This record gives sequence, C-alpha cells and structure tokens, in this order.
Amino acid sequence: MAEQDKPKKGGIFQVFKDIVYGMSSHEMTRHAVRSRASMEHLFILITMGDLLGVPILPPYYSLRLLPYVTPQISTWKRRMLRERDITDTLG
Amino acid sequence: MNALIAVILGAITVYLTYTRYARRIDRNVIQSDPKRATPATLYMDGVDFMPTNRNILFGYHFKSIAAAGPIVGAIVAATLWGWLPAMLWLIVGVAFMGWVSDYSAIVMSVRNEGHSLSAVAHRLVSPRTRTILFLFIFFYLLLVAGAFVGIMAQVMESQPRTHLGMILLVVMGLLLGQMLYRWRIGLVPATALTVGVTLAAIMMGGASEGFFKGLNEAFNSLTGGSPLVTYFDPTLANFKGADAKIMPSLLFWALAISLFCYAGSVLPIWRMAQPVVYVGFWITALAMLLGLGGAAVGTIIKPEVAQFQIPMFKGWNPQMGPAGVMPLWPMLFVTIACGAISGWHALFGSVGTARQIENEADMLPVGAGSMLAEFLLGMLALLAISVGAKGSPVAAFANGLGGFISVWGFPMEYAVSLAFAAFIVIVLVVTQLLFRVMRVTLTEWLGEIIPPLRNQHFSSFISIALAILLVMTGTWIYLWQLFGAANQLMAALSLLLVTIWLASVGKNWVYAGIPMILMYVTTVASVLVTAYNLYFNVYLPNLAAGRMLPTVGSGLMVLVAILLIFAAILIGIDGFRAFFKYLRRPTTMAQPATAPPL
Repeated sequence: MAEQDKPKKGGIFQVFKDIVYGMSSHEMTRHAVRSRASMEHLFILITMGDLLGVPILPPYYSLRLLPYVTPQISTWKRRMLRERDITDTLG
Repeated sequence: MNALIAVILGAITVYLTYTRYARRIDRNVIQSDPKRATPATLYMDGVDFMPTNRNILFGYHFKSIAAAGPIVGAIVAATLWGWLPAMLWLIVGVAFMGWVSDYSAIVMSVRNEGHSLSAVAHRLVSPRTRTILFLFIFFYLLLVAGAFVGIMAQVMESQPRTHLGMILLVVMGLLLGQMLYRWRIGLVPATALTVGVTLAAIMMGGASEGFFKGLNEAFNSLTGGSPLVTYFDPTLANFKGADAKIMPSLLFWALAISLFCYAGSVLPIWRMAQPVVYVGFWITALAMLLGLGGAAVGTIIKPEVAQFQIPMFKGWNPQMGPAGVMPLWPMLFVTIACGAISGWHALFGSVGTARQIENEADMLPVGAGSMLAEFLLGMLALLAISVGAKGSPVAAFANGLGGFISVWGFPMEYAVSLAFAAFIVIVLVVTQLLFRVMRVTLTEWLGEIIPPLRNQHFSSFISIALAILLVMTGTWIYLWQLFGAANQLMAALSLLLVTIWLASVGKNWVYAGIPMILMYVTTVASVLVTAYNLYFNVYLPNLAAGRMLPTVGSGLMVLVAILLIFAAILIGIDGFRAFFKYLRRPTTMAQPATAPPL
C-alpha cells in the first residue's frame, strides 16, 4: 500500500473525539441518513416498483430515470425486502 | 471503606475481566477473524448496515445502554441490603455474565447476517418463540416506563430546585432542533448556547425553589390539602408499612412527565426527542466525569466526602415487616440490573450495534468494553449513595455525587443541583424513547385487530395510561424489582439464544450456558417473590380497605408478573428442546433465516 493510502492514525485526542462523537451525535447522523434513505427508497418504489412486482403506470419516466437509479437498486431491493420486526425500532 | 479503594477495585475488575477472560473467549471460542466480512460490509446500504469506526461505535453503544438502570439499581440495592452485597454483585455480575451477554448478542447477530434476537429465535428455536418474545418485550417496556415515571415524579415533587433546569432542558432541546434542522446553524455554536443556558438554569435552581414550592402548594390546595389517592405501602416507614398519599402535586408532575414523553413519542424525532437527548448528554457527561474524577481523588483532597456512611451489610432478609419476603437471593440480582447484566443491552446490541461492526476484531472492545464502562457507572452510583446517606435514596445519591463534584471547587449547593439534574436527565431521556417504542409496538402488534391503535395519539395515550396506572399502585420498589426481573430475564433469554447458537455451530457453549442457567432460575424466582409480595402485601390490604386504584394497579402488576413467568417458561421449554437437538446434531455453519434477497 502506498504511504498516502494508509488510513490516518489519530492519537489519543482523535480516539477521545470519536468516542464523544459516538456518544453525542452518531445517533442524530444515523437518523438523518435514515430519513433521507426512506425518501429515496419511496421515490424508487414509485418509479421502479415493477422490479419488486408492484405495477407502475408510467414506464416512460422509469426508463428515463433508470440510469440514475441503477447504482442504488441492489441496496434498495435488500432494504425493501429485508424482514423487520418491532425490535428493529430500537436500533 | 472509602471511595478510592472502591475505584481501584473497579479498575482492577475491568482490567482482569477484559484481559484475562473476555479476550480469551474472543480468541479461543468465538475465534473472531478480522478478515471475515461482517454484515456491515457485506450488506452496506449506508443506512442500517454501515461500517463504523470502533471508537465511534463504542461511544454510540455505551450511550445507548447506559441509562437509569445502573444508577437507580445501585441506590435501591445499597439501601435494602447494604453496600457490600451490591458491590460484590456488580463485580461478579459484570465479570462473568454482563460482558458475556452484551458481547455474545453482538457476535451472534454479526455471524447471522445482522438478524435481531427475535429473528434468530425464529430460525433456531421456533416461530412461537418469536411471538412470545414480542409479548415479553412489550410488558418489559411497560414496567420500565412505569418504574421510571414513578421515580421521576417523586423526585420532581420533592425537589423544586430541579424544575427550572428541567423546563429549560426541554425548551433548549426544542430550540436546538430548530437551530440545527431549520435555521441551519452550526452544531458547535448551537451546542454552546443550549447547553450553556441549560447548565445556568440548573445552577440557578435554588433561586426558583420558592416559586415552584408555591406552585406545588397551590396544586395541593385544590383538594384542601387532602390526598387524591391513599393506599397501603408496605415499603414505607423503613419497611414497617404505612398509608401513603398521592397528592395533586405528584399527579401533576407525573402528568407533566407523561406529556413530555407523549410529545417525544408523536413529534418528528428531530424536533424534540433527539435534541433533548443531545443537550441532556452533555449535562450528564459533565456530572459523571466530574463525579468519577472526584471519587478517585476525593479521598486525598477532601476525605470527608469520600468515606462510606451507610451500613456494609444489613442482613440476608432485612425487611421482615409487612413488606414481606425480600431475601438477598434472588432479589438483589434483579434490583441491580444494568451495571451487572442487562437484557436491554443484548436487545439493542443485536439490532443497533451489530449492523455497524466494521471488523470482527471490534466486537470485543465495543460489546464487552461498553458493558465494563457501564459497570463503572454503576460503581459510581454505588459510591455516591454509600457516602451520601442523607435523605431519600435519590437525595442521598445526589448528595454523594454532589460531594464528589464539589472536590473540584464547586460550591456544594450547585454541585448537588447538577447531580440531581443529571439523575433526572438520564431517566427522562430514556423514558421518552420507551414510550416511542411502546407506541410502535402496540401499533404493529394489535393495529390489525384494534384499528384505533394505528393512530399514534391513541396508542401513545394507552401506553402512558398503563404506565400511570402502575405508578398509582404506590409501591415503587416492587415495580422496580419487577422491571429488574424482566430485564434480567431478557438477558437470560438472550444468553439462551446464544447458547443454542453456539451449540448449533459446534462451539463451546459453557461460558454463556452457565450464566444463562443462573440468571434464568434467579429471575423466575424473583418474579415469583415479587408477585407474592404484591398479592399479599399490596393487593389484599388495599382490596380489604376498598381502595380501588391501588387494587387495580397492584392487580395489574401481579398479572404482568404471571405473564412474564408464563412467557419465560414457554421460551425456556422451546429453547432447551432446540439446544439438545443441536447438541446432538450441530450444523457446520449458521444458515441464514431466509434466502438472501439478492
């Protein structure tokens, strides 16, 4: 591995900073990411729902959007089809 | 005994447990492999499954598991049996059971594609087990909510100096949400402003004490000074039993806390729940850091605040009055829950933390490390109550912690105010999360059968009403012990699943199996004892006196206790059957619950 590719190692200050971030803000960040993902997935469901068997009326727009959506399809399908239960609300 | 010796004992426990036991299990039994892909890397979606730095994850997991449990449990146990049994259980519990439960739940989830405990139960045991587990979890959450609302209402009613700080905490939380998400103000200035104002309000609590005392008296004068509810409480008057009275001011504060939790439950999470938790985090972190540091150096700098004052040991069954049976075994082991071992940690670890583990080598520092850190929090609470010894248990805790904080030069009055605020903040932020989860659970669970429960306001109202009903039994100690038992039983069930999984993959299951049997037997016994105490010492006397509300409340608690035992026995039967099946014929590797979607 080239020298510049090596992950940067912080000192004790960096460790402390990470722990404080984890305690104070990581949950907020996760929630913000989750909210965005929910919106995006809903959008993909509306436009590309036929990938999951949901009939979609305007295929023209789906085709126009397909190149932009393609990179997200695999994770989107995994998230949509993943089994969930009430304990997932804790995480 | 003094605080310094206890701090040294705590540090030695952490060091020996981590280096001599936990690391060995991780290396020899689990055989964690840094090269093996984790669900976070395999199924990375940038949302639920996301590889995260181990230090961040340690902070995240610790903050999520460190709630009121280690603090309140240590306070109650030291009051009931003395500081020595409480300290021994904290040390032995965390060294042989606590870290095992936390770490193993994370490991099991990581090795099973990030599935939750219930999903693993569905696959390894039976579909019925999963359904019963859901039922169990709901009643568990109800008990936690009841116990937390009860203690907070008592503290708020008896400590008017804390009111201003708590009101400003909520206001500043709302302001922080607005500043961050609507006005787009940077995190650092927004934090400085909101945390600064909240801290100032907490410190100025003494100045507003007179006003809030007057407010309480005004509420009480609405009924001419007579109580709303009178009930027989066997744990009052040093466990000799006495008539307790619920005054309008107590109901007001219970309702105010419920209103706060209701708002946290139904408002968008960014609007209230998260910002309040965030502001509260800085308050508690400051108090705990100053307190822990003060406990360590207080013996040298200010010895009068670091000497233990409560009795070392009060007996094997010291409460022989109308409070009935409260033997050290099994009741101590459920009274102190989270600092020693906790089912909440396993539940959260499997769905929250396990899906962010970047590398299998991180499972030990995150899972076991967080539990050991929480043990230190429990020790701090025990030290605070042991040196405090003035007033009610919570007041003694605040006095003790305030004493430790005062080592750094803060006036004692301000230090005690900060300690009180830290206690309430810890309990408050967890309670609002509990009601949110209870609401979702009710909707998911009964929404199809009872359509009104799909309405978030209605399901929140039902959750809060049930919790208030439990509070109205007036026997808070029994409620706390029932919560502790449910929590420890959850840990036992989690360990049972871990044991089954270890047997199913042909690994040595003993390190999880023995704690599981001990906790299973202890917790079922403790629920039986609590149900007995509730029935004979609360339900029957109040029924005989024709007191309707305490009768209904204690009757509900007895019913919940019976349901918990029934659920635990069913899960136990299914679990042991599955365990022996896998013991005879282990599979070579864990199979996914369903075919991977892609």
